[in-house]
Amino acid sequence: MDVASFVLPFLPEVVLLAATLLIFLLDVLHVRRTEIVGALAVAGAAVALLLVVADLRFAPLASLATLPAGRIDAVGSPTALFAFTSLGLVFQGVFLIATLLVSLASVSRPSDERGAPIFFGLLLLATLGMLLVTVAADLIFLLLAVELTSISTYLLVAYTRRDPRSLEAAMKFYIIGALSTTLSFFGASLLYGAYGTTNLYAIRLAAGPVGFPVLVLLGYGFLIAGLAFKATLVPFHAWAVDVYDGAPTDVTAFLAGGSKKVGLFAFFLVFLAPILFVRTVGGGSPFTGAAVGLGPVFQLTLGVLAVLTMTVGNVLALLQKEMKRMLAYSSISQAGYMLIGITVGTAPAIAGATLQIFAHVFMKGAAFLVVGGVAALGIGPLVDDYRGLGTRRPLLSVAFALMLLSLAGVPLTIGFVSKFVLFSAAVQAQGFFVWLAVAGLLNSALSVFYYARVLKVMFFDPAPAAPADRGAVVGASGPSILPAGGLGYGRAVAIGLSAALIVLVGLYPQPVLGAIQLAAQHFVATGA
Amino acid sequence: MTDLPIVGFVALSAALLAIGVFGILTRRNFILLLIAIEISMNAAILNFVYFGAYLGGTPGLTGQSIAVVLVGFAATEVAVGLGIVLALNRVKGTINVEKATELRF
Repeated sequence: MDVASFVLPFLPEVVLLAATLLIFLLDVLHVRRTEIVGALAVAGAAVALLLVVADLRFAPLASLATLPAGRIDAVGSPTALFAFTSLGLVFQGVFLIATLLVSLASVSRPSDERGAPIFFGLLLLATLGMLLVTVAADLIFLLLAVELTSISTYLLVAYTRRDPRSLEAAMKFYIIGALSTTLSFFGASLLYGAYGTTNLYAIRLAAGPVGFPVLVLLGYGFLIAGLAFKATLVPFHAWAVDVYDGAPTDVTAFLAGGSKKVGLFAFFLVFLAPILFVRTVGGGSPFTGAAVGLGPVFQLTLGVLAVLTMTVGNVLALLQKEMKRMLAYSSISQAGYMLIGITVGTAPAIAGATLQIFAHVFMKGAAFLVVGGVAALGIGPLVDDYRGLGTRRPLLSVAFALMLLSLAGVPLTIGFVSKFVLFSAAVQAQGFFVWLAVAGLLNSALSVFYYARVLKVMFFDPAPAAPADRGAVVGASGPSILPAGGLGYGRAVAIGLSAALIVLVGLYPQPVLGAIQLAAQHFVATGA
Repeated sequence: MTDLPIVGFVALSAALLAIGVFGILTRRNFILLLIAIEISMNAAILNFVYFGAYLGGTPGLTGQSIAVVLVGFAATEVAVGLGIVLALNRVKGTINVEKATELRF
């Protein structure tokens, strides 16, 4: 195999790695200005995103019409470490957009004396791990890629290392993360013992476990627990709110918009295939078709987790007084909606979940960017502190309102389209899945209460007597870049782009939805 | 296939995992917590070694090589943990995880 044919499929990853190494090299050379390093990170993420979009546009979708009959081998092979799927490419796009938005917003951060290269380098390194997750065809490779993301994000959370809250969040994140990693690897080791391989396709193809059926159940159980921690599913969610609250807000945007989706995509890879198999090939007694016979068990488990996650997240969000914590709980409940798609496992449901994950970057990720910007304006962390923001910062408030409305699933926004596709797919799938859709709808209705409360506070409550807006503006947004009304231009652009996309895709979803639906059909058709 | 008493070995690593997880949940000293994390990680690594020896041949070699990779990974993870401990000690003057709580549920 020549070098080019090995490197070419990994071009986005290589670009990202090159940008990361360049940033760390600049750090050694004492080039640490936020604008230079940040621009490099933005450029790296943008180039990688263009490569992914170009790939998505031409390569895998074109081959959809001519899928070979030998379905599994079409995408993965029982010995490969990597498999390139169009759904994986869509997720690469989602991850890179999240990185792009966060690094754009952070370009105009106040310059820490030497922190900028570390911040942006770790951000790109975490993204590299996320991209590698999407091409994984091997369980160990998958888990190691997840860990590349996790370890980078532990450090990102601790980035403001003189802030005790940030350090405490990093400590909790690290302990819980390490525990979940251990559980995942233990589960993987049991599956290896049962099947004699760690390749996801080979596990699916295996006629049955080699020796000990109980190893399979235990192995998958440990894997569900380990990955559920990463994806913030209830009952493994308790860490998320403290970490999202204590982390620097831009890092929170990255955690919510990007890195937690890694856990969800790992669910796609590990559990969706057995679920798909049940539908296409028909069930069977457990263990006859390797992991295949476990499909119904997974569906029940994931369905229960999805309903729990939605409900607990929403109810606790209702009780929060702080903006960041409220958004964090709402982020947990959104993970529940996404899990519905994996549980149902039909092509429309997968498309709905993927669109929901795509939308979540613009809704929740950007909402955290707004919260970070508002904090830089000197406004407090409580929901009540946002009183009168609508008159003081009309554009910012409208953008924030759009994100919240989209999170609530109001028509004409991207959040409505994704929930519509997702829930209607669950209803179409009949049976037990209809109840998932009902639970999702009830939860959406419940969530309107806390989003509406923010809107009311922003637009209808009078502003506090002395606007705290004025004093903090100049100092907080960095000395070297002209502040766009205190936010910084990068953040303003990131927020504006997100708000525009929420409306644009909400009004005219076809291009994005069409690509995602094709990718989902491809994924289902190849069982990969 | 060799005649290793595989069930006994798996029981051993399950015990190691239980000890490690118990330690993670109960220890208050961050350094001891890191040790607990290492113990539980080693349970997974040992599993790969046993199963590799049990399976033999090429599938067996997979397990052995994964074990080596995971040893490296575990070291990386603990290095990051130690970094967080140092920063925590500098700011808070303690490495007791219970004394470092301001964020509330």
